Amino acid sequence: MSGSYGTFSTKQEERRKRTVPDRVLIRRVYEYAQAHRTHLMIGISATVAGALTGLASPYMHAIAIDRIITPKNLSGFIWWVPLFVAIIMGNYLFQYIQTYQMRVVGENVVAKMRDDMMEKLQVISLRYFSEGEAGRIISRPTNDANTVRIFLRLGLTSILLDLSSILGAFTIMFYLDLRLSLFAITVLPVAIVLVWFLGKHSRAAYRRTLITTSGLTARMQEDLAGIKVTQAYAQEKETEKKFLKSQDENVKATIRAILIGSSYTPFVIGLRLIGTMIILFYGVNAVLTGTITLGILVAFTEYQFAYFMPLVDLVTMYDQYQSAMSAIERMFDVIDTKVEILDAPPERSIALQ
Amino acid sequence: MSIAKPLVDYAKSLRPQKGFTQSFSAFKKLMKYHRRYYWFVVAIVILAVIRSVLFSVEPLYTTFIVINVIGPPSNLSLLWGYLVVIILAGIGYAISNFVLIFVHGVMSQYIVRDIRTEYYRSLQGKSFSFYDSVAVGDLTSRATVDLQLVDMFLRTWLGTILNAVFTTIIIIAIILPISSIMTLISMATMPFIFYFTARLWIDTMPLFRNMQLIMGRLTSYIQQNIVGMKTIRIFRREKDVVDGFKEVESIYVNTAISAGKIQSIYMPLGPAILTLGIALVYVYAGYTLGIPGSALAVAQVGDIILFARYMMRLTFPIRDVSQTLGTWIAAYAGLERVLEITDAPRNVEDSPNAKDIKIEKGKLELENVTFGYAKDRPVLNNVTFTVHHGGKIAILGATGSGKSSLIYLIPRFYDIQTGSIRIDGIDIREFKLASLRKQIGVVLQDVFLFSGTIGENIAFGKPSASMDEIVQAAKSARIHAFIESLPLGYDTPVGERGVTLSGGQKQRVTIARALVGNPRILIMDDSLSFVDAKTEQEIQSAIEEATKTRTTLIIAQRFSTIKTAEKILVLENGSVAEFGTHDELMAKNGVYKKVYETQFVQKASPILDEAGGA
Repeated sequence: MSGSYGTFSTKQEERRKRTVPDRVLIRRVYEYAQAHRTHLMIGISATVAGALTGLASPYMHAIAIDRIITPKNLSGFIWWVPLFVAIIMGNYLFQYIQTYQMRVVGENVVAKMRDDMMEKLQVISLRYFSEGEAGRIISRPTNDANTVRIFLRLGLTSILLDLSSILGAFTIMFYLDLRLSLFAITVLPVAIVLVWFLGKHSRAAYRRTLITTSGLTARMQEDLAGIKVTQAYAQEKETEKKFLKSQDENVKATIRAILIGSSYTPFVIGLRLIGTMIILFYGVNAVLTGTITLGILVAFTEYQFAYFMPLVDLVTMYDQYQSAMSAIERMFDVIDTKVEILDAPPERSIALQ
Repeated sequence: MSIAKPLVDYAKSLRPQKGFTQSFSAFKKLMKYHRRYYWFVVAIVILAVIRSVLFSVEPLYTTFIVINVIGPPSNLSLLWGYLVVIILAGIGYAISNFVLIFVHGVMSQYIVRDIRTEYYRSLQGKSFSFYDSVAVGDLTSRATVDLQLVDMFLRTWLGTILNAVFTTIIIIAIILPISSIMTLISMATMPFIFYFTARLWIDTMPLFRNMQLIMGRLTSYIQQNIVGMKTIRIFRREKDVVDGFKEVESIYVNTAISAGKIQSIYMPLGPAILTLGIALVYVYAGYTLGIPGSALAVAQVGDIILFARYMMRLTFPIRDVSQTLGTWIAAYAGLERVLEITDAPRNVEDSPNAKDIKIEKGKLELENVTFGYAKDRPVLNNVTFTVHHGGKIAILGATGSGKSSLIYLIPRFYDIQTGSIRIDGIDIREFKLASLRKQIGVVLQDVFLFSGTIGENIAFGKPSASMDEIVQAAKSARIHAFIESLPLGYDTPVGERGVTLSGGQKQRVTIARALVGNPRILIMDDSLSFVDAKTEQEIQSAIEEATKTRTTLIIAQRFSTIKTAEKILVLENGSVAEFGTHDELMAKNGVYKKVYETQFVQKASPILDEAGGA
């Protein structure tokens, strides 16, 4: 009972709905990235190019099977191997550029936002710093900034990479064989609905862990703030009991979230399997009737792999995206706070005699 | 000097250190925590084997389809059988994968819980000197943010490493019988992949470590800035604060970008090298296919496809291992920060033959007590005095004279270096800590209330206290009438999220809290300054009532408190300057008389010095 107040307020904090639309937030972050526009553009182009060169690999295998190995036309390797190596080197180079450039942009953008926040904190009215509020304000240039930093470091490039992999895989599949592509993507709508539905549950479970984590943090913070009182009255056992209870709640909620979060992987794998079955079943018949080549069939099974994984990745990324957006909103909240007391302009300032 | 100078200097002083061996010893410590969950580890190993085996079925059977169904000669009747195997293996893989992730996750939660509990317990036992020198926010963030990093590593590490090992073994087992030379060629890239993964790890680890250290300092810097905002505004140091912050932030950004550069070079290298291995296999296959009578000339196209597909399958475990190593770098720094506190020795402990002893009367003797926070700088020097049971001593002294230190020695918040403190003739080190502290009522200078109700706060020292006991204590502390006037009475919530009590009200609640166990000895740090006359009178009346029958040591700020004391002890630079009754000391014409005349007589609401001073 005594611990409920800290938890209650953080609960409200976590549940607070976002009010600023994503596109506004993205535009404002982009304004920060403007100073590093060249890096950003090179980074994005490299990400797309990296995804596409990555996708070229199964197609190259299809070519090797159909034009070189099956007809035993081995001189083909003379052009195939250098081309393949060139594509791999290109892929490596693009990944290198992408990782580096996006890091430069991400770190600088977050640093600038933090600098702006710190500058603003020095001039806003002192009433924002009242007792109960300190923890919340502190978390903006620290925890929130960290969330955004991690998102920009890993999440953003993953999203770009996943999107271009999916679109690229589809393009290549449809180019290779229209009919087989249509068969291959029959499971897609089911997969999207299923993953979305399960994702919703996993997000709810994840949010619960956030709430219990805040409760645990509040508990710890208070226990330590009052540790001298606790020791003075030799009540360490009592406070520990409450702490362990709060920790157990957190452990339970996290285990539940892990259970729900991991429960959709079997479904996704199952659906991918069904997709592979469909491809193999129709593909084998098509190869036998001569509609498609063996290389294309093998390439298809690989491409199916190539778009399914990013798809799952994208859905799991949704949480990260959402929490990054909330963090960005809170950071701009500080940056946009109106200054109530401003210094008089220099020409009107008066020197004390 | 700029406020941020220590932080800037710290950030600049960080040199990349090879943390390889430290990281290894941290890993060993982490392994120790796995011991309790032996069966989880066994389950994970078994599941990982099953998962790797089933993972390799699909490429094998698609190759069978290529070889046996498509042919030539083609045999469509076999297709269904192969498809069923692929499906069954797929389902088995999905389930074992799911169970493995879950078991791994549960184990990680249990281990993190154990580490955190140990950390919390060690904090419970740390002495006041420890808490005088640390920030609560920093301690909390070690148990949450830092342990979260450890959690991220613990969730997958074993499964990922086993997956890479078993998958490689199984793939070799499958492709080796087909062609040993092709296996050798394709595996020839492995040492390079290991080498570059290790380089990635070794080169970035010191940088990430520094980043985490800077970030930790930066966080407490921000905390101090926000908590102390008023002071910073008064002294107009805002620009200093921000400039220092920006400087350190830019050091952080540069380190992060250097780490990013190394990562961008090595991270995509593993899969690229592996893919080059596939090209090598093709070249070899192409070469031997051309030689009539060679082994591969009769081999089938399907075998080459099989090789290529398995090689491609290997890219996933390899990428995962390098990611796990990345999470270890962060986890290692986090774990170090947690264990640094857990492993620090506690400096006040039960002595081996300590007992539960009941304080009967409460006679207090201090003999030649010397104490200092640092060994060579004593705060108290040869302090000797006696308080008879039921006696009341007021302690007077300037900030830094050692007043708070003196009274905090009685419940052993700090341990004395030489001399002895006795209660009813028994050395306090013969008491069990809990037994000693439970029998001494303490009113600390900092009026801290826990979130909870007023009633719970008063009963804090004795959770089993009856409502009567609570009310009795509240009455003695002159806070009962006020509590009754609240709509919820004793059930009114207080603390950070509850009703706001004034400083005087809070202090009277803390006095009531000290009285609930009906202690024989009472220790009060009455340093509450800047209160209005009415509040002062209320507090005064509470103190008078509370100290009536108890042995009392009280740090006094007000003459009204001193007036009621039996004797007065004047501390000067850690030594007893004067000790006696008001009249005796006045007659002595010393420090006390001077203080009395300048501070108490002239001022209506006298304040000897500011609140504070240990």
